[in-house]
This record gives sequence, C-alpha cells and structure tokens, in this order.
Amino acid sequence: MTIAPSMAAEVAYASDRSPLLEVRDLSVVYDQTGLFRRKKPPVIEDVSFDVFEGETLGLVGESGSGKSTTGRAILRLLEPSQGTIRFDGAEVTAFGRRTPLSYRREVQAVFQDPTLSLNPRQPVSMAVTEALRRHGVRDRATRRRRAEEAFDQVGLARAFLGRYPAELSGGQQQRVAIARALALRPRLVVCDEALSALDLTTQNQIINLLCDLQTEFGMSYLFIGHNLEIVKHISDRIAVMRMGRIVELAPAEQLFADPQHPYTKRLLGATPADHPDGRDERRAVRKAYAQAHADGVIPQP
Amino acid sequence: MSDTVTIRTRPRGPEQLPSPTARTVKRLLRQPITMIAVLWLLVVLVCAVTAPLLAPFDPNDNDFTAVLQGPSAEHLLGTDENGRDVLSRIIFGARIALLVGVGSVIIAALIGIPLGLLLGFRGGWYDRIGTRFIDIFDALPGMLVAFAVIAILGRGMLPIMLAIGLIFCMNIARMTRAVTLAERGKIYVDAGRVSGLREVSLLFRQVLPNITGPLIVQGAILVGSAITIEAALSFLSIGLESTTPSWGGLLGVAVTKMAVQPFMIFPPGIAIVLTVLAFNMLADGVSQALGSQRRRRLRRTDRAAARAAGAVGAAAAPDADAVLQVDDLTVTLFSEDKRVPLVTLDHLTVGRGEVVGVIGESGSGKSTFARAVLGLLAPNLHITGGTIRIDGKDMTHAPPSQWRKLRGGTIAAVFQDPMASLSPVHTVGAQLVDTLRAHRRLSRRAARVEAAALLERVGVRGAAKRLDEYPHQFSGGMAQRVAIAIALASEPALLVADEATSALDVTTQAQVLDLLLDLRDEYGMGILLITHDMGVVAEVCDRAAVVYSGSLVELTDVKSLFDAPQDPYTVELLAARERRPRTIEARVPASEEVTS
Repeated sequence: MTIAPSMAAEVAYASDRSPLLEVRDLSVVYDQTGLFRRKKPPVIEDVSFDVFEGETLGLVGESGSGKSTTGRAILRLLEPSQGTIRFDGAEVTAFGRRTPLSYRREVQAVFQDPTLSLNPRQPVSMAVTEALRRHGVRDRATRRRRAEEAFDQVGLARAFLGRYPAELSGGQQQRVAIARALALRPRLVVCDEALSALDLTTQNQIINLLCDLQTEFGMSYLFIGHNLEIVKHISDRIAVMRMGRIVELAPAEQLFADPQHPYTKRLLGATPADHPDGRDERRAVRKAYAQAHADGVIPQP
Repeated sequence: MSDTVTIRTRPRGPEQLPSPTARTVKRLLRQPITMIAVLWLLVVLVCAVTAPLLAPFDPNDNDFTAVLQGPSAEHLLGTDENGRDVLSRIIFGARIALLVGVGSVIIAALIGIPLGLLLGFRGGWYDRIGTRFIDIFDALPGMLVAFAVIAILGRGMLPIMLAIGLIFCMNIARMTRAVTLAERGKIYVDAGRVSGLREVSLLFRQVLPNITGPLIVQGAILVGSAITIEAALSFLSIGLESTTPSWGGLLGVAVTKMAVQPFMIFPPGIAIVLTVLAFNMLADGVSQALGSQRRRRLRRTDRAAARAAGAVGAAAAPDADAVLQVDDLTVTLFSEDKRVPLVTLDHLTVGRGEVVGVIGESGSGKSTFARAVLGLLAPNLHITGGTIRIDGKDMTHAPPSQWRKLRGGTIAAVFQDPMASLSPVHTVGAQLVDTLRAHRRLSRRAARVEAAALLERVGVRGAAKRLDEYPHQFSGGMAQRVAIAIALASEPALLVADEATSALDVTTQAQVLDLLLDLRDEYGMGILLITHDMGVVAEVCDRAAVVYSGSLVELTDVKSLFDAPQDPYTVELLAARERRPRTIEARVPASEEVTS
C-alpha cells in the first residue's frame, strides 16, 4: 500500500520513546437527526498517527478532507464513533462525558479565525484570565500577572489587555488566542488552520512566534493546514489527508523530496511558487494530474 | 540590501475605543424618538419614586362631599367615586405600574433565561423535550394562568407579579433558546471548552453577555405588556385591592361611572397608553442601536463630484489593442467636509488575452480600483480625474444605463465570495439561463443546453443534472466555477477577478487559476486579476501592477518584477514570502535519525 514509507517513519520514531498523543483507527460519523435516518459516509475513517513530545506534526489536506474533524475529535469537541486517542498513556476516548481538567490544561488549541475565537463582549485579557481561574489560580492579581506574562511572550503590548477583540488586527487577535493557549503551559497545541485567515506578512510573524515558543517551552504542535508550503516550514513530519483518510505520512523533507502518493504530488503542485520560472511546466503537470484524475487513473482512497 | 528597504506601515489609531456596550448606548442617545420615550419614562420614574412629595393629596383620602368631580383648581384631574384625588392616584399609580411591570419581567427573566440558555446550549434531547414543554405551557391562555395564580394566592402585588412573570417566562425562555442556539456554534465557545471552562461559566459568562442585546429589547416590550395586563386584571377587579392606587383599577371605576363623569377615563387611559408606547419605542431604539453596529449610511455625492470632475484634463490617445486602458485616474472619497483622493493611477492597460495582476495589501485601494473599472463605485466615491476606456470606449463618466449594458457584456467580474454573488433562492441553471438570454437571442431550451455546456466547460461534473441545484449545494470551489460560468456567459472581452481565489484552499485555488488560464487561451479575453498573493501573480500574470496606499508604485512584466524589483515596497512584498529558517533547537533530535 501507499502508506508503507510512512509506516517506516512511524517505526523509527516509536523505537526509543512512547508518543505523547497516539491516535489509532479513528473514525467519525456525524450524527443523524430526523425521522428517516440514512447512513452517512464517515467524515474520517481509520486515521492513525502519533505526535511525540516536542514535535510538530503537520496535517494537510483540502477543505472537506477531514483534517479539522480530526483536530476537533482530539480536542473532544466531538465524539469519535470508533478508534482510540491516547494522551500521555491515558485513554482520552474513555473519558466519558466529563473531560478531566488536567487534559483541558495540557491540550490547547488555536483556531482558524481569530475574530470568531475571542468573545466579542469581553476585553481580550479575559480570554486568558478566565482559563486561569478555571485552572485553580484563585488570586486575581496572580491571574493578571500571568496574563501580562503571556502577552509579553506572544509579543503583545500590555496596553492591549483591556481592549476588545474588534479593536485588534487579525494578527494581534491571533496572538491573544496563542496567549490563551500558552498561559496554561500545555504539552500539546492543536493549531487548526491557525494561519489561513491571516495575510502573508502576518502569517510569517505568527509562524515564527509559534516556532520560538516551541523552542522555549518544548510543547508539541498538531498543525492543521491546507497549504503544504506553510505547513512544511513548521512541521517535523507531515500527514496528508484526503477524503477522510491519511494517504501519506513522512518526515517533512522526505515528503517534499520524494512524495509517494499521487495526491501528495498534486498538493505540492498546487501551492503557488515563489517565482514565475517554470510555471508553464507546473501548469502542464497539474493539468495532467487533473486529467488522469478525471479519467480515473489515480486510485481514489 | 536590507537597509535600503523602508518599512512603511499604516499607523493604527492608538486611541482606545469604548466598550461595545458604551458604543450602543452612545448610538441610543442619538435617536430623538427613543430619547422622547426615555424622557417620558423618566417622568414616570420620578413620579413613582417621589410620589408622596409630588402628590397634592393622600391617594386614599376620602372626601364624600366631592365625589366624581371634573377638573378643578383644587383637584386638577377631578375626583373618583370616593372623592379621592385622581391626580394623586395617578402619581401613586406610576409606582404600581413600574413595580409590577419591572418586577414581573425580572421574575420571568429569572426563570426563562437559565431555561432557554440550557436548552439552546445543550441541544439534543434536552432541547427536544424542553421545547415541547415550553410550547405546551405557552399555549395556555395567559389570562387563565393569571386567574389560576390569583385564585390560589389571593389578590395583591406579589401574586400579580408572579402571575404575569409566569405568563412571560416561556416567551423569554423561547427567545433565549433561539439566540443561544445561534451563539453556541461560534468558535469562542469551543475555545472556552478547550480552556476547560465549566458549562455554567460558558453559559453565563461567555454566551449570556453576547445575547443581552435581544433580551433587553424583549424585556422592554414585555414591561409594557405587563403594565397592560396588570391594568386589565385590576380593571376586572381581580388585580389589586381598590385601596391600592393602580391605573387599571382607576380605569375600571371610570368605565362604570362613565355616564356620570366621562372625563375620568382619560387620565389613567393616557398614562397607560403613553407608558406602554414609551417602553415599545425604547425597545425599538435599542434594537436599532444594536443592529446598526456595522451599518453605515453613505450619502450620494453626485453633484459635488460632477462639479469637481469638470476640470478633467485632456485624455491620452486610445490604444487599439487594449480592452482596458486607464490614464491618470483619480478616485476620490467625498465625505461631508472633505475630499480624500483614494486611488491615483497614471497608466495601466490590459491587452486582449493578457493577464494583468494588481497586487497590494488589504486597504491599498486595489479593490476600489476594480470597482471603478466595473462602474460599481460606492455612492460616495467618484472619479475626479483621468479616463477609463473599455474596449476603446470612454466610460469615465458614463451613465449607469451604459454601464449596465457593458457589464455582463464586454466586461464581467468574479468576486471573492462566490456565495455572495450567486442568488441563494434561484437554481444555478436559472441564473445561467437568465444571463445567457439577456445577451443572446436564445430560446429557453437552447439556453439550458448552452448553460449545461458552459458548466461542463468550467469543470462541474454532471452539469446537466446540477443545473437544478441551488448554490448552497455547491462547495466553495464549485460555486466559484459557477460564478465564472455566469461571467463567461456573455463572452466578455475583459474579466475582472477581484480576489477570486482568496477564499479557496490552495488545491482549489490552483484549479480555478488553471481554469481562468484555459479560458483565456480559448476565448482570448483580457483578465484583470486583483490579489494580495505574490504567488498567484507568479503563477498566472503576464504583467503586474504593485499598488501601495492608493497609488501604483511599479508596473512591469512578471519576470522582471520577481528578478529585479524597482520599488522598495515590491522588495518588501517579495521578502514577505521568504520565511525565516526554523531554529534548529526546535527540532526533535530523533528526526535526524529518521531522515538518514
């Protein structure tokens, strides 16, 4: 099967230590409502991967490929129908209705649209202080100090603490969202399309910030995105998803140097290049793939 | 190289804006009708609070020598059947009206809001069963509920408030549920969950502040209704004891004595009508102040623009090969007291079969330029200089009718959000057929065949079947293909693509860009491509114009733009694509073993 090289990578990783996050055969089928229930196809099916301590795993695919659903299942924002998720040895899928507070502290998220991920009716500092309050920081002054620290770490002036989300630019809002995640000292951060809503310059700043924070605090990232070029920059390994399944999983350099699955090649050709040179060839390759695809030559997973 | 680059960033206003609530209040203060309503309510409030000071008599002071009198110097509004001063009873009645009105709504809110929040937030079975329960309760006639409560608890202030509160609480619960349902799906709620916040805290600290607006509107309306219901109950003399000075009770007495003293119905009647009306108008005002958060009124400024445009200089000679030729264009923003030139562009052409990119950051004026080319400028923006020629025709000051003929004919456009440019209530087929028939003499059937062919051409598989589907049944990429098909229906000479691929993921973006290039090769149209992405320029444009804060800083062919950028801003844009290499420490040591 096409997943063979990825398995090799998996084995090499698994040899010396146990993973922080272990996802096995994960499937999600969206709930059916209404009187006449028809069996819907699963959104994701048999998804398996590991994320190690301090590592960044990129999860790439086009919209509708199930990459965000995978992230949401790990964040326990939806219930998987099959498979297991283990975090630091504990089986997350067996938690039941209540999620232990320790899991909520150690696994954090940064979402796609920072405008929507902050409460529009609260000063942005509350995004951080409310989380701290829940996690046992009783003293108001301590919460305030920790929020200031978090803002310092994400490069936001303390003057922004009292502002409302609408007064901040997209990049600043995303920094607040990162500060919220960071303040709890998580071990895993799920970045769900955390850059897609930002313009190019801001994207670079946020990527650099995420990298710096990882260097400093050593947390792991599950980095979900649709643009391979961007994901490559931050990821140690990359999993390519298509129609709810992982079609290829390999170390970032290897995936770029020697893509195995035809779909990976197609994704690679989709990112606009940095320079017009060779664009006619790229277009020809893309068209050939699209043609082959339409003719049914490339096996659909 | 780096020291030649001047970093130009637009300053962001350092002033701190007031909170969203403060802004709503500010807008509220600017509505004259709401202010009149508030003024009346203040009068009622002052009466209620300072009744013993304001009232000339004790409201229960009987004077059997002067019963049922009309207005006089001593009793300004006359007396009732026991010779009590009506004015004093009206003033004390304000107390009762406000107490019952506000009190019963508070009771209703205390029951209804938590119930609605819980049902809306939890959803599923809670919602299904709970909502049915609310429906049943709400179906009981309100007056009947009130009668039952009063029958059990007896007459008096508290039973009345409780009765009215019970009538209203289901209304509030239903409303709260509806707005919570809309709020529940927002990402900030997910973010709160990920932070581990308790459900109670999510409900009351996260969701509730976001739905207070509509709840306040509803509350104000209900206070008005509560006053009416209290009046009705007292009128039926099952409300408050007759010693309690209530407007409704007064009205009830007045009706029975109408033959003797017809004037007596006016004071309580007017007090009730005005107060209820004031609460309703306040509700309207609040609702408007909340709604106009994003709406801003634009004022047409045609006349001023026409005057300013009188001084347009001599136009440059037309270029026969260009489908679009822009010379010395100035687009100016007209506001009440000043004119701000937004876009100035000295020269830009798009030839047949040529793809010209216009690249800039958000706010650079590139979209304003695109709208000028399409004749779709906002009513307060006007061309105050230069010329726009489309397919050789001077369109600079063309009337709307001429633009209409041109749009969808010689020029067509594709915008960022395909869903916004397609009509949600018409099938894709109907929209295509209409466009085709507007430009060509075709029978309905022939147009449908043509429409299917066009859809197939832009890469929609099974096109003939999908003609009867609605836009929402298409994915983002497919919807954009439909929008392109509609744009192509008139075989335009110039296609303006304004951020047409920015909302799509890279895979779909590549497909749509390839499609545009294929169509260019096939139909030979010129494309004006507005984008913020240098990569898109690199992949598809023949020439590109770099726009910075409203003016063109560089226009050159794509190769030299990337190889030898002239303007420092272009250099900056190009540098933005190069990412700083990742720090080595961030890597896991084990990854080296893997790659080897």
